[in-house]
Amino acid sequence: MAQCGGVRVHQNQFIMSKKPTVQPALHKVIMVGSGGVGKSALTLQFMYDEFVEDYEPTKADSYRKKILLDGEDVQIDILDTAGQEDYAAIRDHYFRSGEGFLCIFSITEDESFQATQEFREQILRVKNDENIPFLLVGNKCDLEDKRKVSFQEASERARQWGVPYVETSAKTREHVDKVFFDLMREIRARKMEENKANNGRGKDRKKKSIKSFLFCYKH
Amino acid sequence: MVPPPVVTGLSPNDGPPGTRITIRGENFGAKATDLVGLTICGYDCLLTAEWKSPSKIVAISGPGKGLGDVIVSTKLGGIGTCNVKFKGYKNENIGPMKDSAVWVEETSFYPWDRHSLSSSSFQQDDPLGLSVEGTERKLSEDDLNEKFPNASGDITSENFSACWFLLENHLATSFNDLQAGLLHLKRKVEGQKEGHLSFLKTNVGAVMDQVDTLILLKERYGTDLDEFGSEPTLKLEKAIKESEREARKLYDDVLTRRDRAEKTRNALNVLSRFKFLFCLPCSIERNIKKGDYDIVINDYMRVKNLFLKRDIPVFKMALNEIERCIVGIKKQLHVKLVKMPIHVDEQKRLIRYLINLDNSFEPAWDAINGHADYLHTRMKQCYEEHKAAIVEDLNKSKNSNLSSKYSKFTALHDTNQCPQNVIYVEEMCDIISELFPDIWKLGQSYFTGELHVKVEPGHKTAFKHTVLNIMEVFCKRLRAAIIPHTLDKNMDRNTYEAWTLPDIDVMAVYLPDCLRYVRLSLANPLHEKWKVEISGSHNGITDLPLNFERAVEDLVQVISESVLRSEAREGPLLENQQAQKEFDKQIEQLLLTFYYVLDSLTSKGSSDDDDDDEIRSPIVSQLIGTPSFVYKSRNHNQKPAWEHRLLMTLANCQYTMNSVLRKTIEAFSKSGYNISPNIIRKSRTDLENLERSILESYLEQKSDPLVGTIEPSMYLGRFDWDTNITPTDLRPYAKECINNLIHVHFEVNSISSKLVDSVLPQVVQTIAEELYRLMSCVQKFSTAGIQQAHIDISALQEFFQGYSTPRAKDHFKEAMELIPPLNQKDLTIVEDILQKCRIKMRLQILCLQKS
Ligand SMILES: Nc1nc2c(ncn2[C@@H]2O[C@H](COP(=O)(O)OP(=O)(O)OP(=O)(O)O)[C@@H](O)[C@H]2O)c(=O)[nH]1
Ligand SMILES: [Mg+2]
Repeated sequence: MAQCGGVRVHQNQFIMSKKPTVQPALHKVIMVGSGGVGKSALTLQFMYDEFVEDYEPTKADSYRKKILLDGEDVQIDILDTAGQEDYAAIRDHYFRSGEGFLCIFSITEDESFQATQEFREQILRVKNDENIPFLLVGNKCDLEDKRKVSFQEASERARQWGVPYVETSAKTREHVDKVFFDLMREIRARKMEENKANNGRGKDRKKKSIKSFLFCYKH
Repeated sequence: MVPPPVVTGLSPNDGPPGTRITIRGENFGAKATDLVGLTICGYDCLLTAEWKSPSKIVAISGPGKGLGDVIVSTKLGGIGTCNVKFKGYKNENIGPMKDSAVWVEETSFYPWDRHSLSSSSFQQDDPLGLSVEGTERKLSEDDLNEKFPNASGDITSENFSACWFLLENHLATSFNDLQAGLLHLKRKVEGQKEGHLSFLKTNVGAVMDQVDTLILLKERYGTDLDEFGSEPTLKLEKAIKESEREARKLYDDVLTRRDRAEKTRNALNVLSRFKFLFCLPCSIERNIKKGDYDIVINDYMRVKNLFLKRDIPVFKMALNEIERCIVGIKKQLHVKLVKMPIHVDEQKRLIRYLINLDNSFEPAWDAINGHADYLHTRMKQCYEEHKAAIVEDLNKSKNSNLSSKYSKFTALHDTNQCPQNVIYVEEMCDIISELFPDIWKLGQSYFTGELHVKVEPGHKTAFKHTVLNIMEVFCKRLRAAIIPHTLDKNMDRNTYEAWTLPDIDVMAVYLPDCLRYVRLSLANPLHEKWKVEISGSHNGITDLPLNFERAVEDLVQVISESVLRSEAREGPLLENQQAQKEFDKQIEQLLLTFYYVLDSLTSKGSSDDDDDDEIRSPIVSQLIGTPSFVYKSRNHNQKPAWEHRLLMTLANCQYTMNSVLRKTIEAFSKSGYNISPNIIRKSRTDLENLERSILESYLEQKSDPLVGTIEPSMYLGRFDWDTNITPTDLRPYAKECINNLIHVHFEVNSISSKLVDSVLPQVVQTIAEELYRLMSCVQKFSTAGIQQAHIDISALQEFFQGYSTPRAKDHFKEAMELIPPLNQKDLTIVEDILQKCRIKMRLQILCLQKS
């Protein structure tokens, strides 16, 4: 939170009318997936309601804005990472700061689907946490006629990992909000759980139960 | 009030100076001129800022180092805020040869760029006067950032943190060195404090020079201003614009031409690289014309493998074109497939093509159904044609009723006058025997998987049903045509309209013919099946030769393993003369043994069979039509009657000669041993002898009683050739003779149809001989006797024609010559009676006809 100090100075300067508020909770989301699957497109659609037709490979982009999550003010911080293999080396570093992951592949490209396995493994290795908030996202579902990855196949993999599977389209905005909000809910739930654990209460509660609760919530 | 701008997105979020950054957020102003300020990490970057939209600006980062804000200011919203941070790297010179992960503007905008080109004002000397450490031991900037939030190691920064600086640059420097560094720094600071004045003092000359130069510069600028106005660059700008225009004029043409040429070259390249794909539609057409479907299919597969996964529009187009072609071909092939008539092999080929082309329908099944449908239509067609013909006939016969009645007998063998029904039956039979085998064959290859199609589960019963249906329809149609009263009254008579029959007498004559025809046509397809199921067409043989064959094969195996194949260091056994001889002898023995087995089977007095004697003893009066042994063999543990055994052994014998012997020889020679021709020859002669002797004993058994009955029967009822009984028919003895021969035919045929040809002619020959003998014994003929003799002999001669040997024919002729000749009137009588006989005995004649 200290990093935001500079920002707050300005805020206090110009938004004086508001009483000083508690800084809203910050949820750090990381977009991972192969190049060209639509990570940036999803992010930009979510952030700015715009769809970018041109493909411009990303290195690492940051986005942060305030949103209302189930009536609560929160900040979402999105790190849009590079899918191109050229940048594979710097991924570890990014992943460390993530609290939740959207693992994207394109349903029109089987390779991108296969690559999700690697991403998943890398994330688990870096975060060392089986239950890290994580969504498997099949993007470009507007291109049904070019589909190469079946819904069943993808949901089967998601089931194995114990994560939800959602299909999105950055173009039509289908399920774009859903994936971000679902992920933030998981992150929030996860944090609450950890808080309780840290406070010494509910230590015996299993993470698993939270997980399954989240499942019901989503489907 | 317009809200202040807020930056919410940076792409990318880090980079060295000169990084092109897309800045996104809100309230960046309504137009480009609303943007009045942009700082990145504290450096003003407004000059590079490109306003794109109220939510998007593209700019290029300045030399700011470490994490910092990106602040946008607008005319109306004021200074904005920032949610995301940009991280500047140390100024790292990205030359043309260096890989960079981000887009670096190559044109330089800033004075500090020039600095970095000359030497580096940023890479100052170490303020402690110590040598800069190598890079091997360094804390990462992130870690430092974490430890000293909001601080910076940049000595020129507001937030400079000494700890950061030391940790970053002097992690490995010893304490003493650091102390020395501190002293150095202190000295420098002291020097600077009093330095201003002393600096001026020492450099007064130079300073004065500079002042002079500045004054001069000012004067010059003043005069220039007078001379050229306040905008000295205007002219220059104009000139540049002008030259640019000129340059464009000069080069635009060339450039566009070059672009076009390049494009064309690219297109040509693509075309030649993928010529195969683009030319395929043409070559497909060509190959189809030539009928080379195999090539077409091959090409299609290749193209599909190569290009289907590629997402390039041109390929897609070409592929679509090809796909269209293929669909056309498929349709064409399918039409061909079900268009009748068609040869089965051709059809099988088409089916293979269609399967290779990944067809959606089931070509094999369609073909079968097509055949069945075609068969049905052909039958129907045939029916309609003949129906029409009948109507025509009826009309005609109404007109000439009388004539047709007269011709009833005489015209019977005239096919022109044959009843339409019969012609219809024959044609139907032809249709069935022509078309049905195809359906059967196709069905067989479909279900045995020969066609490489997956057999649909329901199809087996469906096929059975189809076949049965065809047969049923066929039978019912025939019945309707010739024996309509046997049709099921309610149902079938409606569907298969009964034919108007000619006179039942006329019809009856033709029925056997029809039957024969129908049987023949049905035997055809079924025969095919037998061939598959029973190895070879040697019906009538028993297991014996096959067992022998198998035994021999086993033996050969053993022999070849133990004798013929010489192991290492074991001299070839057969090089030894003695052994060779011995071996030959053994083989001879082997073949001989089998011969003995066959022989002993036929030997008469076989001790285990007492009843045989009884049967063999010829009973003169026995009517062979009801053989007594039929009853006897029942309580004889299924042991066949001796005559049958004879025939079977005969068949075995022939089979052994023709097949087993050859196979035995082959089996030996395959394992490297050639049986000496002597042995083979001997064995063959043995078998031939055996065959002959069996045949003889069978003939003796059969023809003796047959021939023996002729004489007593001829003179039965006190008949003699000089009695004057006007002949009306064949004499009983002749009829008996015919019936007996038919019986023999039946018996032999029931064992093996092959044997008929070796047995019957012999019998006929003895009959002919006997007749000749009997005729030569006749002393005196009456006129009626002459007529009768002519009738009898020529009838027998005629009926037995099919199985007459040259000698038999001679005997018949000689017998005829013995009878006094006929005058003209008698000749007609004889002919008439003969004609009547022929009609009466049609069935018998049919039996003895050669099929
Ligand atoms: N039709 C369709 N196109 C999409 C969709 N999402 C992204 N695209 C297109 O896919 C291309 C790549 O999208 P990006 O978002 O830049 O891909 P990325 O995952 O960020 O790629 P990297 O930055 O290299 O990792 C762009 O041309 C987008 O227009 C979608 O949902 N539907
Ligand atoms: Mg991207």
